Amino acid sequence: MPEGKKAQSGEASAQKKFSRRDFLVSSGTVVAVDALIATSPATAAVATPASPIPAAKADYPVSKGFLVYDSKKCIGCTTCMLSCSMVHEGVQNLSLARIQIIQDSFGKFPNDLKMAPCRQCKMPVCVDQCPVGAAYVDAANGNIRRIDAKKCIGCKTCLGACPQQPHRTVWNHITKKSSKCDLCLDTPYWNEKGGPGGKQACVEACPMKAIKFVAEAPNQKETEGYDVNLRNEHYLNLGLVDNATVVPPLIAAQAKAKKAPMPKPKE
Amino acid sequence: MTGGYTGKILRVNLTTKTISTIDTAKYEEFGGGHGIGSALFFDLVGDQLPFPAFDPRNVVIIMATPFSGTFMPASGRSEVQGLGPMLYPVEWFGHSNFGGRFTAQLKFAGWDGIAVEGASDKPVWINIINDKVTIESADGVWGMDTWDTQEEIARRVIPSLKYGEWADLDAGSTTQIPAVVCCGPAGENLSRLGCLLHGPGSQAALCGFGGVFGSKKLKAISAIGTGGVPIADPKAYMDARLWFRQFQWDVDNPREPERFAKQGYMLISGRPSGGNVLNGQLPLVPARAAACASCPRGCRMRLASGESNESVCAGTMAVRVQGTQKLSRQANDLMQKWGLGHWQFMPLQSYIQSLYKRGLLGKGKQIECDLPMDQANTMGYADMLMRQISLRQGVGNDLAEGCARFAEKYGLYKEDVASGVLPLPYWGTADHYDARVEAEWGFASLLGERDLMLHMMANYPLYWMANSGDPYLTAEEAAKLYTDAMEPYNGDIFMVDYSDGPTGIYSDSKVKQVAWVKHYEKFWVGSGGFCGWRWPMCITNNTADRRGPTPQAEPKFWNAITGKKLTFADYMEIGHKIYTLDRSIWVLQGRHRDMEVFPDYLYTQKSRGAHLPMYENGKWEYGTGAGRTLDRAKVEDFKTRFYKFEGYNPDNGYPTRATLEKMGLRKVADLLQSKGKLG
Repeated sequence: MPEGKKAQSGEASAQKKFSRRDFLVSSGTVVAVDALIATSPATAAVATPASPIPAAKADYPVSKGFLVYDSKKCIGCTTCMLSCSMVHEGVQNLSLARIQIIQDSFGKFPNDLKMAPCRQCKMPVCVDQCPVGAAYVDAANGNIRRIDAKKCIGCKTCLGACPQQPHRTVWNHITKKSSKCDLCLDTPYWNEKGGPGGKQACVEACPMKAIKFVAEAPNQKETEGYDVNLRNEHYLNLGLVDNATVVPPLIAAQAKAKKAPMPKPKE
Repeated sequence: MTGGYTGKILRVNLTTKTISTIDTAKYEEFGGGHGIGSALFFDLVGDQLPFPAFDPRNVVIIMATPFSGTFMPASGRSEVQGLGPMLYPVEWFGHSNFGGRFTAQLKFAGWDGIAVEGASDKPVWINIINDKVTIESADGVWGMDTWDTQEEIARRVIPSLKYGEWADLDAGSTTQIPAVVCCGPAGENLSRLGCLLHGPGSQAALCGFGGVFGSKKLKAISAIGTGGVPIADPKAYMDARLWFRQFQWDVDNPREPERFAKQGYMLISGRPSGGNVLNGQLPLVPARAAACASCPRGCRMRLASGESNESVCAGTMAVRVQGTQKLSRQANDLMQKWGLGHWQFMPLQSYIQSLYKRGLLGKGKQIECDLPMDQANTMGYADMLMRQISLRQGVGNDLAEGCARFAEKYGLYKEDVASGVLPLPYWGTADHYDARVEAEWGFASLLGERDLMLHMMANYPLYWMANSGDPYLTAEEAAKLYTDAMEPYNGDIFMVDYSDGPTGIYSDSKVKQVAWVKHYEKFWVGSGGFCGWRWPMCITNNTADRRGPTPQAEPKFWNAITGKKLTFADYMEIGHKIYTLDRSIWVLQGRHRDMEVFPDYLYTQKSRGAHLPMYENGKWEYGTGAGRTLDRAKVEDFKTRFYKFEGYNPDNGYPTRATLEKMGLRKVADLLQSKGKLG
């Protein structure tokens, strides 16, 4: 949508981004700055606190699991989103999915699609800012950043605090609680063990293998740390390139052999 | 209703501007999608038939299915039904469908379908945001092309919409853009070529439903929702989805990648992309493969240039412009923007060129035309032709009536269709695959209401495999494996014998194959929202033993989502019931077996042939059928046996009371009887 594109590239957006980063740097919270990506902060449509994020309250142990992805490989089928809401909530609902795929059919590749899973940030602002401790680091399960729905009071602080666009903490409008990716640790509607060392529904269901679990923390500073290249030569040979100078080997060979008569079928 | 359904169908009357709901449960016996749409149409206007497609009484129905909005592979299509102004000689109760995200968003908004009746006095569009539905003025949108329309309406639905952020709806929030389906200027001007378009390239191309939208002064329908689809057995549904992975193209480690990268396999192997045929020249335009909702294949592309985004097959082939592929991409995009149905626009271009070459069309000719006919294949010609048809200017006013009615106006229909100069073998829709060889395609189209358009029947797995020049199965292996999957008729290998011998295209085995095609079409494809490029999957190149997921997958998913416990054969019998209901509606419109005839050229002109499994001289081989013509007496005898097999009166093709009552369609039998049309 044009308005959205403007929002992404416009000066106002850049200025907003600077404001947030500037605030954090000036507050001396270097770790918090690391949690940001090079995009503007989320302007959540749901009611969120307007106040800036204060300094981190504590140091947090690093998560032992992360999801990385390849936004150029994604086909936008939303199977990951539906699998996520399915295994966690028992229904198929894009709004409840803890990974979001956003796409503009009229857009231009690669800006026509955005993948937005939780980053399991080294400095989890959602955890840091939760006023009641509902968002927490689960030390017993690989330090996954989680939200305890029983403790959540539905204040939406974590939605506004998440520095990503869109925010990766997800509002469940049915339960009136926040939720977020738990790397499939708690999936009452799936017969698989999740978490670090287990399986994640989005990773398993993605038909393009465009989401991957990794144990090492990606580069926190830039989006590229998470948005990685998961394409191999077989993908290239589909004729899907991200640069017009790339010549897939099979297509080059086909172009050479072009116009050869179609042979009779062999038994 | 435990899972799969939202429980309500939206009913909008544009004459009275009233909005109401219909309980889906009342129609659950018909499955979903096409089945419910047919039952709804019969209930709403069946007793008033026949009447014209542009009559306000026509009901345009867009149905979702239990699978819509879920990750059932390749089930993202929206089924559109109603009287089709493109169809000829009668505007049959027809169906068309389109991919994309619309049907998913409709379900998330809480609706199993939409039925639009009446006609507005002023241009309007329908705004669906969850359970809030309004009829909005189309001021400023009427007259817009299909692309601008969708973007403008999305802005009106969510004024604060920012790509990449959450938007707050009354109940919940979403990052998704509203899904809009609309007609273009062609539909507004009641063109019988008018398609419905969703996204940049997802057409409901057949039947002329864009014209029906135009006749109702309905520009568009938008849907966005934050709800979910309930699943009766979530664990079983998730397990089924992961089980299905074995049948997908393995993107990182495909089976025999070089073999299945060959041209003949591009469309049929399940590879991502490949549906857009206009990005194959080096240097390639950077692109992604792009999927409809829930499709694991992603046959479409979105390009760095934004051209031909999400268009496939005829959407990228209907217009050819000399020069670079870029020009053809732009010309086909123009077709999408005008809202012209590619499957009628394609033969129309060929036909008027033939008239020009015969000296019948041009300046000062019998058919007056100021188009630069000597500049065909240029962008200027394509632009002028599309503009004239869409705005009904000059000869475009006649061309907007579609191929058949255009030819009829100038007294050329009978002669040109009989000779094959104008190849319209099935109810005004274009020739597609040769009925003389790929017989089930021909029979299933003729015994329907338009071109079959279901490639994953024998067409991709057998015809295209054989014509690749490098089939991965012998003819006998292919016939055996394919027919093994055709429950409940499995075991009869001759269903896919394409010879014209005793077990071939006129045989009782072929009767069963055609019945199987119609029943699968009506239940699984039509009522499950399946893509005809992916289902059924009787064989596949993606497994070691080449067996596909059909017939295990279909009931596995359907039962898990709905909580039912029926077999594949049970559901196929519901397909039989839906086909019988459709047929009853056609009978109310005037259908008789005497109308179900192929044009003369298929009986008199020799086929060029195509490779298909054939059983000849006691063995299976890939024969071609080259030189074959259809035999009138054998075709008629085939029809007689088909009608009997399906429970219809062979004298007229009408369904019998016994058949209808056995299916629980007594009220249909009563109406047919009251009209003197019971078989």
